[in-house]
Amino acid sequence: MFNILAMFLQTPATEPTLPLYTDNASIWHHMSDALHQSLYRVLSLLIAVLPGLLAFFVALAVFTVIGMILSAVMRRGLTLIKFDDRLVRYRGPGDWTPTNSPTAIVSRGSFWGCVLLGLIIGVSAFDASYATASTLPLSLLPYLTHAVGAIFLLIAGTIIARFLARSVLIGAVNAQLQYARFLSLGVKWLVLVLTAAMVLDHLEIGGVVVELAFGILFGGIVLTLSLAVGLGSRDLVSRSLESHVERSSERNVDAPPPSNGPGESLRHF
Amino acid sequence: MATTNPMTDPTPALEQHAGSLLVVLPELPADRLRGLLTQLTTSLPAEHLLIAVPGEPAAEAFPGIRFVAFQAVLPSWTLTASEFMNAQQLAQRNGARGILLLGAEADSLTPMGVHSLLTAVDSGTADLVVPRYDLQPRAGLLNSSILYPLNRALFANRVRYPLSIDLGMSLRMGDRLSAVAQRFVSANQGNATIWAVSEASVAGLTISEADVGTRQIPQPADPDLNSILPQVTGSLFSDIEAKAAFWQRARVSAPARRLSPAALSSTTDAAAEVASLLQGFRLAYTNLQEIWGIVLPPNTMLGLKRLSLVDGPAFRMPENLWARIVFDFLIAYRLRTLNRGHLLGALIPLYLGWVASHVNAIAAGEIPERHVESHAAAFEAEKPYLLARWRWPDRFNP
Repeated sequence: MFNILAMFLQTPATEPTLPLYTDNASIWHHMSDALHQSLYRVLSLLIAVLPGLLAFFVALAVFTVIGMILSAVMRRGLTLIKFDDRLVRYRGPGDWTPTNSPTAIVSRGSFWGCVLLGLIIGVSAFDASYATASTLPLSLLPYLTHAVGAIFLLIAGTIIARFLARSVLIGAVNAQLQYARFLSLGVKWLVLVLTAAMVLDHLEIGGVVVELAFGILFGGIVLTLSLAVGLGSRDLVSRSLESHVERSSERNVDAPPPSNGPGESLRHF
Repeated sequence: MATTNPMTDPTPALEQHAGSLLVVLPELPADRLRGLLTQLTTSLPAEHLLIAVPGEPAAEAFPGIRFVAFQAVLPSWTLTASEFMNAQQLAQRNGARGILLLGAEADSLTPMGVHSLLTAVDSGTADLVVPRYDLQPRAGLLNSSILYPLNRALFANRVRYPLSIDLGMSLRMGDRLSAVAQRFVSANQGNATIWAVSEASVAGLTISEADVGTRQIPQPADPDLNSILPQVTGSLFSDIEAKAAFWQRARVSAPARRLSPAALSSTTDAAAEVASLLQGFRLAYTNLQEIWGIVLPPNTMLGLKRLSLVDGPAFRMPENLWARIVFDFLIAYRLRTLNRGHLLGALIPLYLGWVASHVNAIAAGEIPERHVESHAAAFEAEKPYLLARWRWPDRFNP
């Protein structure tokens, strides 16, 4: 305090005063040092994980190529031995009727199996290099597996939603329910909402908020369907049910056929 | 001094029954069985018959008739794979020269019908004898709309009822059907339907029809059309798919039969029936367009759109439109364009549209059999369309 005061009063001091720019230079020097060090750390980390990243892409590419070759070989081989025909011949037409032929399913399954294997190997290699390079005891692998699981959940849920919607639509139309499309949409959105909630829960996003929102939404959809079908279209439902019962008695193939004359019912067999 | 021979007759059953005609009967109450046996023995001497019944036969109740027992299978409204296998095994074990399989409610066959079947099988002139029933115009609609036309167009035979309820067959036909049945039984599908007529066509064996008059056609245990139609058509489509190499070659079908006049049905309830069927058809058209559009080409969809605007007695599904619809569904079944259960479920409203058209035709005075024959002829005429799409499948509509 006295030195500063003396400096301002320009009284001779016992020691010569240092110029101001020397303190500023030191601050800038420290700041640039800090920046340089952080940049160095990040670049070092990036350089350390680059091999892992490259290994990930290489593993994925190699196994994708292997999968393509394996898929093509299996498709040709199974077509040559008439795998589809043999399966139908020896197992008979079963209840399971997939959209694609067994040959296509096996060849595509082998391709995606190889891709998945490449993905796992690549992620494992990347994770190993990241873990050694990083000073923090963190691993990306668990989060990545959760993400992959969430993607599978989403795909499976979408497929199931479409399948169930179509099943309900066709069944309701054949039952001659006037609200067939409404039922089908309701079922589809129920499954999609359930799928979305499961995916978010799997990714540990949102927590209780997501669970609560899902419960409210799901319950709301179910309540809406119940009200619309049970109360709002009560007359429609009773008419549909009455006409369904009448048609069942007409379409009932157990109805005894009169030998001749009027009033004979339709017999499909 | 006369002595009795203490040794039992060592002649095996094979020799005792050799040369007999094996008749496999369904499970029937004793009084109905008696009536049927009487009809059988009237047509052929009892010593020429070997009667197979499920369970232990009450031989003492029917003296003079030779019985052989077999293990009962689950009753079914058609002849199943297990029944074909059992029949062939019995025939081989007993050295029979032919097999006559009678399905459920066989006692409803007229004496003339029983005689006709027996003599056709006994004569041995054909490997497969298929009965031709005199059904009411409103009966056997699935057979008239899909089974008969497809069988006629693709396998070039005019067997009116290709879905087996009663069948007569030679031993070699029985061998072939048994081999086919073996695959289903091995896959634990003993109740699967065997399409005997197409098997005979592919094997180059002779087929003949026997007029048997009226018969009580057995009905499925589950009367729901929504489950039975997909089951029957799915089985037929699978069979056609498996025999594609055969029916793609050009064939000449047998000459037409003379149509017999049929009794006219009442018109009073036709309008109500047609209205109900058309309501379902229009509801399906409104809701299933997206699904039908995946299977059917645009010109067929246009035809359906025009039909959906027609009401009442004027509703008539053109023959070529119905033929193309069935062929398109067959192709979609093969290509797995949709889940097969969904595909066959989507066919039901279209089938009911055909039924409405058929009811209208009958109500207008058209001979029902002529209407069926015209549709079957349309299937034959549209076969090139099926061949083209089968050989060059396109996964999007033209």
